[in-house]
Amino acid sequence: MNRRRLRLALRDLGAASAFVSMALSGQVPAWAMGLFGSGLALALLDRRVFEHRSRISAGVLLACALGLYAMVAAGRLDLVVAACSFAGLLACQRMLALPGETTDQQVHLTSLLMIAGGAALSGDLLFAPCLAAFAIFASLSLGMSVVDANRGSSEAVRTGPLVRVLAWGVAFALVGGVAFFILVPRLSWSLAGRRSGVGLGIPSSGFSDRVQIGGSGRIKTNPRVVFRATLTPDPKVDALGAYWVGKSFDTFNGIEWSGSARPLPAQLEVTLLHGGKQLVLQQLELLPAYGSRTLVGLDVPIMFGSGVAHLPTRNARARLVVLPAQEVRFESESGTYGYQVYSRGNAGSEVEWSQAEQERALELPATLDPRVAALAREIVGDEQDPEGRMRRLERALSTRFQYTLDLPGEVADPLADFLFVRRAGHCEHFATALAVMLRTLGTPTRVMAGFYGGERTGREYLVRAGDAHAWVEAYLPGRGRVRLDATPPAGRVGAPNAVLDWVLRQYEALETKWQSSVLDYSFRDQAELTQRLITPPQRKDGVRLWPSRWHLTELAGLGAVGALVVLAFRRRARRTPPASTEAARLLDDAERILGRVPGLRDLGPGLEKVSDALERACHPLAPVVSRVVRRYLEAQFGRRPLVSGERRGLRAALKRAVARRL
Amino acid sequence: MLTLGVGLGALNTGNNLLYLVLGLQLSTIVISGILSERVLRDLEVRRIGAESAFAGEPFPFRWALRAARQTAYALTVTEDQSPLTGEAKVGSVPRGEERIVRGLLCAPRRGPVALTGIKVTTTFPFGFFAKSRIFDVCDALVVFPRRVPPAAQLEHPSSGALGERSNPRHSDGDGELHSLRPLRPDEDARRVHWTKSATAGELLRVEREREEREAYTLTVPVAKDPGELDGELDRRCEAAAGMAQRLLKAGHPVGLVSGSLRLRPATGARHERRVLRALALLGFDPEPELEAETP
Repeated sequence: MNRRRLRLALRDLGAASAFVSMALSGQVPAWAMGLFGSGLALALLDRRVFEHRSRISAGVLLACALGLYAMVAAGRLDLVVAACSFAGLLACQRMLALPGETTDQQVHLTSLLMIAGGAALSGDLLFAPCLAAFAIFASLSLGMSVVDANRGSSEAVRTGPLVRVLAWGVAFALVGGVAFFILVPRLSWSLAGRRSGVGLGIPSSGFSDRVQIGGSGRIKTNPRVVFRATLTPDPKVDALGAYWVGKSFDTFNGIEWSGSARPLPAQLEVTLLHGGKQLVLQQLELLPAYGSRTLVGLDVPIMFGSGVAHLPTRNARARLVVLPAQEVRFESESGTYGYQVYSRGNAGSEVEWSQAEQERALELPATLDPRVAALAREIVGDEQDPEGRMRRLERALSTRFQYTLDLPGEVADPLADFLFVRRAGHCEHFATALAVMLRTLGTPTRVMAGFYGGERTGREYLVRAGDAHAWVEAYLPGRGRVRLDATPPAGRVGAPNAVLDWVLRQYEALETKWQSSVLDYSFRDQAELTQRLITPPQRKDGVRLWPSRWHLTELAGLGAVGALVVLAFRRRARRTPPASTEAARLLDDAERILGRVPGLRDLGPGLEKVSDALERACHPLAPVVSRVVRRYLEAQFGRRPLVSGERRGLRAALKRAVARRL
Repeated sequence: MLTLGVGLGALNTGNNLLYLVLGLQLSTIVISGILSERVLRDLEVRRIGAESAFAGEPFPFRWALRAARQTAYALTVTEDQSPLTGEAKVGSVPRGEERIVRGLLCAPRRGPVALTGIKVTTTFPFGFFAKSRIFDVCDALVVFPRRVPPAAQLEHPSSGALGERSNPRHSDGDGELHSLRPLRPDEDARRVHWTKSATAGELLRVEREREEREAYTLTVPVAKDPGELDGELDRRCEAAAGMAQRLLKAGHPVGLVSGSLRLRPATGARHERRVLRALALLGFDPEPELEAETP
């Protein structure tokens, strides 16, 4: 690849990195992505199709601009997203135009605009590699462009050394950028801010207004994190294994479940229950991948509040509504939400169900297969204790039936199909079967929909779309709610394959670090960092721990880095000393060595005089001294520097000659 | 401007990713300054100069660059604080090598030009800024008068006055016989080789190794007449230079008289330079030390 093509390829790859950083938000229109991708492919193949077609390319660009404008006017596209998309299309048009210094600058400029747009639109971890790739590609291309602009037509400039110099520059620039990021005071006027977009992929929370057994779907294998939560008090376990409830269904028609609770008007706080012991406060953030407005909370949630909708340009307090399935939902639409929820730590809370609730929770579908009730009686047997009956049914379903994600498709009676034909199903089948069988035995039940799980990352717990789950809540007079889960334990949490799971965990650990260290880095973090750097660590009782093990490690690391830097500089200085310095050292060495020879000291200062005197006297030291003097003069004044190791060689020769003489 | 825009955006939104982009931009600017400084720090420059320089037309000028420690990139060389315009560009100067760079400069008018320093500029590595270093290397350049066509045709020796030029009849060339050719109607009949002409049956003239040439002495008044426009002396010098070059090219000996300056008529490249140099320096203080001679 020649220099020109290499430079253009680097330029185009830089633009591609910038575009990807923007496209990560998932908000750029698909047709704009397609156009850019096609343009990039042509550019990388060095097919500059607009090279001599400036009017056509301007027309195409105008058409794209009008298309974006139409989308904005129709309310289908955000103005900032449209502007970013147009920058991408402009970069694409310039990439396919006649290459030149001006065109290069235009591509780099639009690429930088795209990077800024990507920063505004996307908070994704992948923005970091995109930014680094853009910095590397664009810097190399810019450097080559600058050198080529100064190069004569017949002048050859070696690419390797140039790229090395530029690569060092880019590396230092990246490190400097991070240092700047950490140290510059975080001030914000907060006039207009944007939240991150949905990201690539379709948002999915696994929620719907009804739970329908049968149908199709593979929500369990979706590994995307849909929300994260900080718990107070912190349970400090890696796998939370908790039930996060979102909806409650009490009416079953043989095919699907629906709710019938009384809806409530919009308000800032929703209280479902009152009081309780061992309250757990959860600070939740529903991520863009969640794709729903339903609030979830640890089972049993009692109060939702402090809702904030992260709108594209600001954060706004969000009002909450209660829908029939005891579902608490945000009133307004937004990409992400934050809120607080208080839950009772014990599921078996002493809450009485009203008579109407109990009656609804006992209703059976008219078309219920009589074998369901018979099977329930058979499993329960002679057990008289109501809770014992529940546990027998729960255990029987969990052990006798298989968990599978392969769905039956459309069947007339999905419940009978599950219990008597396939004998395998997913959580909704198990929950439906348990709830219906308990109802046949006279126990009021509801089917709960939500999530099961919670993986600790840092101080937060992450929950994925694949953790979506359904279970049963039964009512025992005098005892209140009892949570039952007939799904085999292996089927309760998401089930990505092992390799994917490992990769995802690593990625999520990085993403969490990215979130906490970059996206949420604030003035407070800066103050804490400064405090940590200037204050010796102390125990809680005030006793100083200086030097602590942590600080010793840090100090050792800093010391090692410092030593490496010093060594590198010394080595470099030794490798390429200035010619005059090296010559002066040779002179010093020669004068010191000759100073040991009796009689030479009397010849006075000046090595040249000493050499002349030795020559005149035909002294045995004359040849070697003459050689040293000649090389000193050449190196110091004659632009013929001493080569590497030459000074040592001359010094050794002089030493040997003097030693023989002595 | 874009850095400023990103900075304002970061401040406005508090978006940390914009701070990250801003940090990278500022860091790149700083690194750009450091790398360009390193390029210029160990550079050695000397002036080689030009063969000849005429006012108002580009002339090649050379400099020698040497990068002592590391390869220098994207250099532009100009003469600092001089009326000379133009520059030389070089893509790279490899470490330890000396590279001669050539640029086309242009001087606005004749006369001595003091060269006080060589300005080396680099936009390496990213072209964001141009950083310069001036090397104090003093020298002088004499810019010859602008080359313009002579204002008037020289009169033929036979019809012109004799005072300003030598008599063409005084000689018919010297040296050995070179050739014979037919006599043209306007040529002197004394050049006819009669014997050969009788043999050939037509008039043949003798050509010798060195043909006779008319010697011209050009007079350029230095004193400024009342009401004379600025630059009139320059124009006289330019006309005289044009005339002198044309005559010298035709092989005529040319002399120069101006004020106390006397240049004896002579021919050859060295003499041409002496004449041009004298004309270039006319009117400047101090006057050049030229060969003073009474014709």
